[in-house]
Amino acid sequence: MSQVVLPIVLPLLLAFLLPVVMRPLPGVGRWLGPLLLVYDLWLLGQAWPAAGAAPFSVAIGGFAPPLGINLYVDSLALLFALAVQLMGLLLWPWSDGEEAPRRQSLALLLIASSTGMALSGDLFNIYVWYELASVAAFGLVIDPARAASFAASLRYLLISGLGSVLTLVGITLVYVRTGTLNLAQLAELAPGTLTGPLGMGALVLMLLGFGVKAELFPVNHWVPGVYASAPARISALLAGVISKLAVLVLARLLYLMQPGAEVAGLVTGLGILGMVSGELAAWRARDLRRMLAYSSIGQLGMIFVAFSLPGKAGALAGLALVLHHLVVKSGLFLLAERWDGALERLRGAGRVSPLAGGLFVLFALSIVGVPPLPGFWAKLMLMQGLAAEGGWLYGTAMAVFMTATVVEASYLLRVADRLFAAPEGKAPRPAVGGLALTSLLGGGLLVALVTVNPLARTLDKVAGVAVDRDGYLLHSLPRERGRVGEGGDPGSHSPLTLALSPRGVERERGARP
Amino acid sequence: MRRFTSLLFAGGLAFLLFSLVATLDFGDPPMRIGSGILAQAPAQVGTANIVTAVVLAYRGIDTLGELSILFAAATAAGLVLARPGRAVSAPKPGGFVLRVGADLLLPLLVVIGLYIIAHGHLTPGGGFQGGVILAAAFFLPLLASPGREPTHAGLSLVEGLAGGGFILIGLLALWQEGAFLEPLLGTGQLGALLSGGTLPLLYLAVGLKVGAELSALLARLMGEGHDVGD
Repeated sequence: MSQVVLPIVLPLLLAFLLPVVMRPLPGVGRWLGPLLLVYDLWLLGQAWPAAGAAPFSVAIGGFAPPLGINLYVDSLALLFALAVQLMGLLLWPWSDGEEAPRRQSLALLLIASSTGMALSGDLFNIYVWYELASVAAFGLVIDPARAASFAASLRYLLISGLGSVLTLVGITLVYVRTGTLNLAQLAELAPGTLTGPLGMGALVLMLLGFGVKAELFPVNHWVPGVYASAPARISALLAGVISKLAVLVLARLLYLMQPGAEVAGLVTGLGILGMVSGELAAWRARDLRRMLAYSSIGQLGMIFVAFSLPGKAGALAGLALVLHHLVVKSGLFLLAERWDGALERLRGAGRVSPLAGGLFVLFALSIVGVPPLPGFWAKLMLMQGLAAEGGWLYGTAMAVFMTATVVEASYLLRVADRLFAAPEGKAPRPAVGGLALTSLLGGGLLVALVTVNPLARTLDKVAGVAVDRDGYLLHSLPRERGRVGEGGDPGSHSPLTLALSPRGVERERGARP
Repeated sequence: MRRFTSLLFAGGLAFLLFSLVATLDFGDPPMRIGSGILAQAPAQVGTANIVTAVVLAYRGIDTLGELSILFAAATAAGLVLARPGRAVSAPKPGGFVLRVGADLLLPLLVVIGLYIIAHGHLTPGGGFQGGVILAAAFFLPLLASPGREPTHAGLSLVEGLAGGGFILIGLLALWQEGAFLEPLLGTGQLGALLSGGTLPLLYLAVGLKVGAELSALLARLMGEGHDVGD
């Protein structure tokens, strides 16, 4: 099962070699990326049954965790890895010309690093992949045809840099307190060591840092500018998939470290603020791509509220919202590519291209949560989770969530109304082609509508795995290790040091008189 | 208003960080991973320089990620800077001392760079440090006589093949031993030049990759009027 490292490594290999290959053989080179992604999907698909039966850990370099780095393969990680590779394949930048090798290399790096984020079982390794995803995204969001994209990318770079520093400080604090970076061992030690203001501060710093990509409330200034000016496929990829990977990392940290009610409450609060600010800004937005960007902030806020709920119900709601948003927001960004510019200019565009208009209405209704569509079920799960939990914070979240849904309905249906209004003067010319992919996503949404029951069962299983902290510990670290939950004060010997040669133990004793 | 919020945010952050540092107890960090690696590494990996064991063996995939970050940065810079029509005024040629001095330094820099890379598993140093020196060696003649054109095709080739080599060594290990990046070829005698299995080879790939990457980055920043790089 160690082949599961290949979907991370092979795209990196191809990314390095693509500029070399594409110079003499541009025709061959442009097919290599998509072919590789298909192969990766096949590899990950093969691992699915095994990971579904029992999660497993793959030690990289043959060095057992916690000394080495491991990949932790459970159905949650695989689900996200599959989503990344599939969406990467669908949204592949099929550009030609001189820039093609660079763009495709960066796309491969982005896909590889996101897969790494999903699968890695080591905190610092996750940080490395997160950095790689950020740097690759800086290059990809630049659209040479738009000067605005350079400014947006610069702002993205600055905020992302701040986020990286915060994450690094957080990870340093964690390492200083616990002496380990392995997620499973951290989970084991967290109750004893990562308590008090220090542990909470470390978690909040990581929350803010990883939150940059996840469009978390105070660190999301980059979102509207970047999504409005980047190439549409890249906006779709970043908003649809990459933001969810950051959410996955944060959800993993929350479920594994069990930081207590304060941090969970903070996540809920930031999620609420994200909903409020995102949806209101989207309501005021005057062009479609900005509107979608702001509404994505709002929906990520809902996802954060879901994952902040304790227990399986929240994880289930969060996963459903994540998958729904992944399909729908990608589709909407692809549609927005043909409807650039001010909203006023969209008048009658749906009559010119009924298929595009119809798809927009389908996606919009699903986001709002009109009953039979999948978006409704996802939102219903979140409502049930919030209602079951109670308390003033979750009550507020519920109220804000309902209001946000009304606001969403208002602005999305306003656009839909405009699309099918009688055109004033010259109707906008429809862009040629480009609807195949959007139709595919729309079709996927309809398939999900029909298969909502088996989907819910699968997601329920995945959500069970997501919150199963003991399972993570059991399957991550070698079995013969000491029992779980040792923790205690930071000075105590971990089972690891006891398992070492006597020399190692002596050395540690020597260091601590 | 925006300035005020930024100030508030920065101030809050500074306060948070200071109050966190104030609660840190110094001098007695728990050495869970550290002591484990110190005890195991010489026998398990066979590098006299334990840092190398961490960088290439225990956390080898992190190093791969870091190489990829450098590559991504150079590639993204290429995308940003490859704008047509950036006219550059004719540079002033360097003086005699500068040019000859650069030519004399070049072989020394290359030798030192390669030495540091080749001894990365024995002494402090290694691929990252040696690679930076190699990049300096590459860049010295360009700085001394600015009219000279950097050779992009060769750089791009080294960039691709060195990175590819690192991964291929890892894949070979996956195929032979069943774990990606597992050291091959045995450990050898601790402290000998030929020891540490495939680790020196990995460091060579790292060194060449880092050198080529930094050179490419600098060459793109020098950007002539035409599309540089690829």
